[in-house]
Amino acid sequence: MNLINEKAIDDYVKKFNFKQILIIPAILLAVSLLILAYTTITSPTHSPVELGMEFQGGMAMIFDSAKTPEQLKGDFSAYPVIQAREYGGGDRKLLQFGPMKESDITEVTKKINSEYSNSDLEIRQMGEVVSQALQGQALRAILFSFLGMGIVVFLIFRTFVPSVAVVISAFADIVFAAAMMDVFGIALSLGTVAALLMLIGYSVDTDILLTTRLLKRKGELSEKIKDAMKTGMTMTLTTLAALIALFLVSSGSFLVSTFTRIDIIRDISVVLIFGLIADIINTWMTNVGILKWYLEKGGTVEKRVEKPKKRRQAT
Amino acid sequence: MNGEEPFYKKPRVLLLLIIILASIAVMTVSYKNGELKVGSNLKYGLDLEGGSWLQLQLQGAIVQVNADEKKIIQTEFEKLLNDPSIKIEETTFNSITFTTSKQTTQKIIDDFGFGKSTISQAPDGGTRISLQVNSNYVLQKYLENNLNAEIIQIEGNLLTFEIRKTVTEDELNAILKPVDGKVNTFKTGVSAKTREETKNILEIKLNSLGLKEIPIRTVGDNYLLIDLAGIDINTAREIAAKPGKFEIRIQVKGNETEHVLYGTDLTPGLPSKEKGDSWGVSFTLNDAGAAALRDAAIKYGAVSDPEAHELIMLLDENVVYNAPLSPDLARNIQSVPVKNMIANTGTGDDAQKKANQLQIHLKAGALPVKVDVIGAGQVSAELGSKFKLQVLIAGIIALILVAIVVSMRYKQPNIVIPMLSTSFSEVIIILGFTVLVGFQLDLPTIAGIIAVIGTGIDHLIIITDEVLAGGAMPPDKVYRSRLTKAFAIIFSAAATVLVAMSPLLIMGFGALRGFAVITIVGVLIGVFIARPAYAEVIQGMLVEDSDRTFMGEE
Repeated sequence: MNLINEKAIDDYVKKFNFKQILIIPAILLAVSLLILAYTTITSPTHSPVELGMEFQGGMAMIFDSAKTPEQLKGDFSAYPVIQAREYGGGDRKLLQFGPMKESDITEVTKKINSEYSNSDLEIRQMGEVVSQALQGQALRAILFSFLGMGIVVFLIFRTFVPSVAVVISAFADIVFAAAMMDVFGIALSLGTVAALLMLIGYSVDTDILLTTRLLKRKGELSEKIKDAMKTGMTMTLTTLAALIALFLVSSGSFLVSTFTRIDIIRDISVVLIFGLIADIINTWMTNVGILKWYLEKGGTVEKRVEKPKKRRQAT
Repeated sequence: MNGEEPFYKKPRVLLLLIIILASIAVMTVSYKNGELKVGSNLKYGLDLEGGSWLQLQLQGAIVQVNADEKKIIQTEFEKLLNDPSIKIEETTFNSITFTTSKQTTQKIIDDFGFGKSTISQAPDGGTRISLQVNSNYVLQKYLENNLNAEIIQIEGNLLTFEIRKTVTEDELNAILKPVDGKVNTFKTGVSAKTREETKNILEIKLNSLGLKEIPIRTVGDNYLLIDLAGIDINTAREIAAKPGKFEIRIQVKGNETEHVLYGTDLTPGLPSKEKGDSWGVSFTLNDAGAAALRDAAIKYGAVSDPEAHELIMLLDENVVYNAPLSPDLARNIQSVPVKNMIANTGTGDDAQKKANQLQIHLKAGALPVKVDVIGAGQVSAELGSKFKLQVLIAGIIALILVAIVVSMRYKQPNIVIPMLSTSFSEVIIILGFTVLVGFQLDLPTIAGIIAVIGTGIDHLIIITDEVLAGGAMPPDKVYRSRLTKAFAIIFSAAATVLVAMSPLLIMGFGALRGFAVITIVGVLIGVFIARPAYAEVIQGMLVEDSDRTFMGEE
């Protein structure tokens, strides 16, 4: 079996009209932005993605219990229970509280430790003030990360259109991943923020490969696109394979009954999976589309080929 | 390639091999008490070991302020002496002189704590007061009185103070406004010295629990991270947030003891060197405490036989100090309650350490600044070991799936095997690095390692495809030029990952620092050590096999 179907790539590159194909990622981006806008307007926190416990303050407890989520809610009705639900299969339950007074925190943790300390108990608690500071930090981190990436891309290519194409593709990847978080109910946690930052750095890998190949190599354009696509698809598919393994193993007892859900691994893998799926579309439709249009119109490829060559000879 | 040395003798490949071996050695061999031991040296985080963790925020601010010291003296003494007609007469570098219409004494003025005073009669019937004080101290005292907080001067910086309390810049400006002052610089946080002091006290408190290793890490200027293996979250919070219970008991007979007084009746002084080079901590009892001590000493016979009736100091029911009354004290206490006492710890450096520790105990482990628990967590030990096993399984499955995907693409074992080995060697080197720098492997760190492996494989694919463009291993010259191109792409891609991840180094109060550091270090290891070696290896492997493996497409 072949990983890369060369004929399919051949057909794709030959038959497609890149002006028409840009419509697909454009619609995808528009829909993603709409989802984010809708969430921003309708969510109680007015944020484009649902904020997890770490960004709202409060306490989350995860443990095994034969009781139903409703029963658990009743058991802890004296405290501000935000949600109680099944968690990753089996008897696993999640019980989440909103911000509480210091004394309530102590009471709740005492109660839970006396009843469930032998039930694979996990507790996480975050103060309200700090969690709000964390929101700002996360936002700044994502902006800084994206700007930094953009600057690096401009420094690498030093031409406007190709650099912008890379940045747009990366932007569309992140927006899609964030929109999918909304669709699948994945909250923003430290893990998902890390994954989004990772995605910013990661998703431009294939774009850089593509742009370098097209601008700095000699040869027929569609041949270069085909070659880049072969390499790029291999890259994305290997990474996806690894991420799917991580996602399945960290999702809970669906596959193997003794497995338990590992939030941070699951969060990171699921966001990267969505991001990389978007990356396939945005690299091989958006970025290729823009670059093809740019090269066919301007013909600047020759200059791009000459320059690095001269430099190399000089050294 | 004739006449050239084989790939496994090339410097880049040798370097990689040496680093892999060194990493394995670092991970498995340890040297302790003159003995070589073999076993895993990897350190796991609490989420894999079980236990609880606390994130503490030290409440305080470092500020640089100015104000008019004459105004301060005037407003403060107007309040203290209840006299609206304080008049500043004269100020010099280290003294301020003013008059009040009230009659007062030197003792009253001195007790206000603004400095040593000299009092004289003013011509108009009031009192003329001269205070020995400089502007730095006046300002400190003013802030202390008005913020009701401990204020520490930062040495070497004029008019710079540490406020050991939660305070905002606006609040501070409001306090300084009446004395023509304002805040020049304001930074939330505490000084490094205070942070260390807090850390030390916490360490001593935790030591009393019998934990052998208490990693307290500082994050930024005002955060502490405490990991407590095997302890639940409640116990952890109690230790960190609440001061302990200090008690003095007296030995009645053998192991039998009786309560004398609690820490609330006692004010500790500073550790100091007493006569004869012996170290000790002075402390003062209030009237009730002094009376209780005297009564107990008489009742249980400590006055006549001090050696058989020692005083025992306990912090949270653990003995922290015990000693008999000195013969002098035993004699004196019979006739009059003694308020000022010294707990002696002996001579030498060790005694000095003990004195410092005892002082902390006397304060009942009270921390110098208010500490807020801003985050906490707990993972049971069983859950931790489940996580550990599951992450290992995830890693192995991911590696197998990657191997399958890569094999489907390249089919030739002499590409696939070097590729996977390079990737695996990156894991080994990163793990070796964690041991070397004492990094804990926790879930985020492991996620970071897996992410690095993902980019690593990507880069190896770029090298392979770039070099083998057209399907065949090109002659050395072309190979070099293609490799340069491949590395141009790899370096660019690595640079974007590094830049994108860098905000995590400071974000989240250190929660994701492990993830960020591992990603960054991993990318650097990959780009500078592992991937260059891989390039040499596939060149060697493919050239050696050139007669049979090319799948040309041209």
